[in-house]
Amino acid sequence: MAVFPSTAAAEAEGRIRRPRTKAGPGGATRGPNSRTQKAAYLFIAPIGLGFLLFYIWPMFQTFGYSFTSFGPFGGNSWIGGDNYARVLQDVTVWRAVGNTLLYGAIGLVTLPLSIAVAALLNRRGLRGVSVYRALYFIPFVTLPVAVGLVWNWLYNGNFGLLNEVLSWFGMSRHYWVSDPSSALWAIGLVSVWQSIGYYLIIFIAGIKGIPQDYYEAAELDGAGPVRRFFTITLPLLSPSIFFAAIICVINSLQMFDLIYVMMAPTNPALGSTQSVVSLFYQWAFQQNNQGAAAALAFVLMLLTASLTYLQFRLQKRWVHYA
Amino acid sequence: MRDRLRRVDGGSVATHVILSLGALVMVFPFLWQLLTALKTLGEAVHVPTTFLPEKWNWSSFEEVFTALPYGKMLGNSVINTVGRTVGQLVFCSLAAYAFARMRFRGKNVLFALFLSVLLVPSSLLVLPQYDIIQRLGLLNSAPALFLPGMFSAFGTFMLRQFFLSLPRELEEAARIDGAGPFRIFWSIMLPLIRPALAALAVITAMWSWNDLLWPLVVNTDPAKMPISAGLTSLEGQFETNYPVMMAGSLIASLPMILLYLFLQRHFVQGIAQSGTKG
Amino acid sequence: MRRRTLLAGALAATPLAAGCSTGGEASGTAEAGGRTTLTYGMWDVAQAPGMQQIIKAFERENPDVSVEIQLTPWNTYWTTLRTSMRGGTAPDVFWMNAVNIQLYAANGVLEPLGEHIERDRTPVGKHPKALVDIYAYDGEQYGLPKDFDTIGLWYNKELFDKAGVKYPDSSWTWDDLRDAARELTNPKARVYGITAEMDRQSKFYPTVFGAGGYVLRDGRSGFADERSIEGLRFWTDLVDRGWSPPQSAMAEVRSRNLYLSEQTAMNYDLSAMASFMYGTPAIKDHGGVTVLPKGRERATVIHGLANVISAKSRKKKAAWKFVDFMARRPAAEIQAKGGVTISSYEDTQDAWLKSMPEFDLRNFIDMLDYAVPYPSSRNTAVWEDLEYLLLGAPFSGKGNIEDAARTLAKQMDRALDEEDK
Repeated sequence: MAVFPSTAAAEAEGRIRRPRTKAGPGGATRGPNSRTQKAAYLFIAPIGLGFLLFYIWPMFQTFGYSFTSFGPFGGNSWIGGDNYARVLQDVTVWRAVGNTLLYGAIGLVTLPLSIAVAALLNRRGLRGVSVYRALYFIPFVTLPVAVGLVWNWLYNGNFGLLNEVLSWFGMSRHYWVSDPSSALWAIGLVSVWQSIGYYLIIFIAGIKGIPQDYYEAAELDGAGPVRRFFTITLPLLSPSIFFAAIICVINSLQMFDLIYVMMAPTNPALGSTQSVVSLFYQWAFQQNNQGAAAALAFVLMLLTASLTYLQFRLQKRWVHYA
Repeated sequence: MRDRLRRVDGGSVATHVILSLGALVMVFPFLWQLLTALKTLGEAVHVPTTFLPEKWNWSSFEEVFTALPYGKMLGNSVINTVGRTVGQLVFCSLAAYAFARMRFRGKNVLFALFLSVLLVPSSLLVLPQYDIIQRLGLLNSAPALFLPGMFSAFGTFMLRQFFLSLPRELEEAARIDGAGPFRIFWSIMLPLIRPALAALAVITAMWSWNDLLWPLVVNTDPAKMPISAGLTSLEGQFETNYPVMMAGSLIASLPMILLYLFLQRHFVQGIAQSGTKG
Repeated sequence: MRRRTLLAGALAATPLAAGCSTGGEASGTAEAGGRTTLTYGMWDVAQAPGMQQIIKAFERENPDVSVEIQLTPWNTYWTTLRTSMRGGTAPDVFWMNAVNIQLYAANGVLEPLGEHIERDRTPVGKHPKALVDIYAYDGEQYGLPKDFDTIGLWYNKELFDKAGVKYPDSSWTWDDLRDAARELTNPKARVYGITAEMDRQSKFYPTVFGAGGYVLRDGRSGFADERSIEGLRFWTDLVDRGWSPPQSAMAEVRSRNLYLSEQTAMNYDLSAMASFMYGTPAIKDHGGVTVLPKGRERATVIHGLANVISAKSRKKKAAWKFVDFMARRPAAEIQAKGGVTISSYEDTQDAWLKSMPEFDLRNFIDMLDYAVPYPSSRNTAVWEDLEYLLLGAPFSGKGNIEDAARTLAKQMDRALDEEDK
């Protein structure tokens, strides 16, 4: 449930207005009266209980699990830090962490692609914008399992269309998802393909929020489209880009569906494509090692938190809030 | 003036060319999926590849339904999707309204607690969530699919933003007329954020339909699986029968694509105002 | 992940066309009298009709018991079973395989069968000993085998004729196989001599045993053993010499499909695949099968499924009657007639042998004398995952097999240590 409200993009689009006063609107002048108070608790109660049961309590439980050894048919015992020791010693964990970071890096490639398409779509008087937007967005709403299967078929070393097309240009056949040197990139590319449309919409909203007179003024100064893009669009889009980059990294760290679908267990590239979440799934639900899996989940959270923190630290250097 | 017009035209042709090529890359895999599904296995694995099927062969679609309870799986996906969406609309809007428009003790603490839910990756929760579902005796049941997903911190925040943007006067007028908090919420405020509710609904529907990890874990009985997990079963069974797998994946992804095409505006709004995955 | 392949191939080949008819009448009458209704868990739809016949025969002998089949597809069978065990809703009798038996036995969720066997004189000795032993744990028997699988050398006579190579027979050694592989490889026609697929049951376990090595002994990994490495190198060497496609080129298509589409002249494969091969006209016409060529020793791998009883079952008496019935000749004969699997009961395989006269299937039975049981420990799945994870590179012609095998041994030992905790 890694989620951030895109206030930046929404505000840019002018949908959200911040409340003027610091105090909330409802009964701002009076103290909380007991009737509203009771009602407020009633309003919050259902979701609060749901959170407590399915989110907050499990958070603590997982922490407990990470110090526990589980029997495959129930029964468990406290084993202290052994699970963490195993996580730290296991080579597959470090490989998975490395792969996951690489997925994150590949994922970031989506951003410039989406920005470029958004900038092209922003061209004044361009027709068919909504059609383009619709087409680019379809992969994002498509079931990831289905996406993985289709791309596996395109990538197929023996019968795949990709090899066939490349052979017209004299390239020899390649086993894209079975060769350890290309498999991770092949999967990463699919996730780029799948999420272009998503970031596109965020950036279109961001660009719409840039006042048109900036462009007009620049045009009067004789700035061409390229220059206008780099001096106006890009800097003023930076809050959206920042938001998108955070989402992008968080999502990439959660890579699971595509890997699960695209990699068969006898695939020699399995080790070089496995993400932290797919390793987690394997440990927790196939090898019955819930304890170590819980410890691994904390490693993932640590990774996510520190990368997000890093991005927030770095934002000062490049994000301009108008 | 004339010069300038021509330049714009040339530029927009180039723009269209680039954008169309991009669009082709985005859409072509789906076309190939359909064409493969309509070929026989022999034709699909024939090199050099034929583009159009020699004969339109629909048997792969039939095979999908005989191999697995695919119709049931689609139904389970619908139940899962509706369950989560309705749950989020109800629970999130209630809480969002309280956080946005009401004053009560402990508001900030509770809000911070909700915020923490937002930041935790789902893999951290899946083991205990699974145990809870098991203890409730709900493994391999419809509620198992949608129960935890009915409660969303993201939905609460998104709707809260909208409630915050509404003018205060409406509420006060209603209060003077003697309307209680629930009446005000239900008949005055809620209708005003209808666009936000629609956006949340479609986004939630999309995540629910496409979710894999959770259903894979809780519902292992094919008759109780949603289509995402069902499709992985199909893959396990037909490993190298490409037309059948393409047919299966097409059937599984089509409902959400159609929903998107019909409700595009809400999807776009939902995404533009929020970013979420999982 | 989901496609762990012990016998999964058979599933891949058979769409669930028959549907999940689990005998509506049986459950209907169950309510009527004071009868006991057993649930029977299995995963292969193709075997459901045969099982249904066995159940009918059983019910005729035991009118007070009826049996209902619970069908769960392979890729969710084990997770479903484990959770239903925890929740107390597991079937009374169910299918077990080598990978999982020790996990279940060690955790006390299976009913020990020794006493029952002794009392009722169940003819355990009529089943291959290597197979029966797979289902023994800590001196106690937990399962009775129903069928078995060994590995044979399948070959394509037409490709042999074209290359002018003599067909393989029981006199063959590894050297003969290598010579033939070289002769048979024809890059222009895109034909390989053999397929060195990274598959434990049908490929590298047989050669590890054939080289005199071992996978598991006294709770230690055998992969660091010189002989075991020799058995692995048998395959990687074929890849390195270009007589087999690398694993990276087979992961998507599978060696079996290469054999069926006549792109490889030889393939090590399961006996259970015979009917599948038989269904492919070209292979039926000019496919053949013989015993595995001899390395340092003669060896093949045997695996088979067994019926076990849940320790939590409240109908153990009836459950035992059913398991006992299935371990005897009449049930084995019904199963053999089904033709889907090879019954493990001695001398009941005739129907199967005769059903495909073009193939010399007797070879599979001849190999029983030196078949090595499929190795397993308490948490087999963990180190099996390691095998594929670490051997993929050398099987793809990248990286040294000896290093990979030693790393595998080290990590496997650690996984085995963990089992003891």
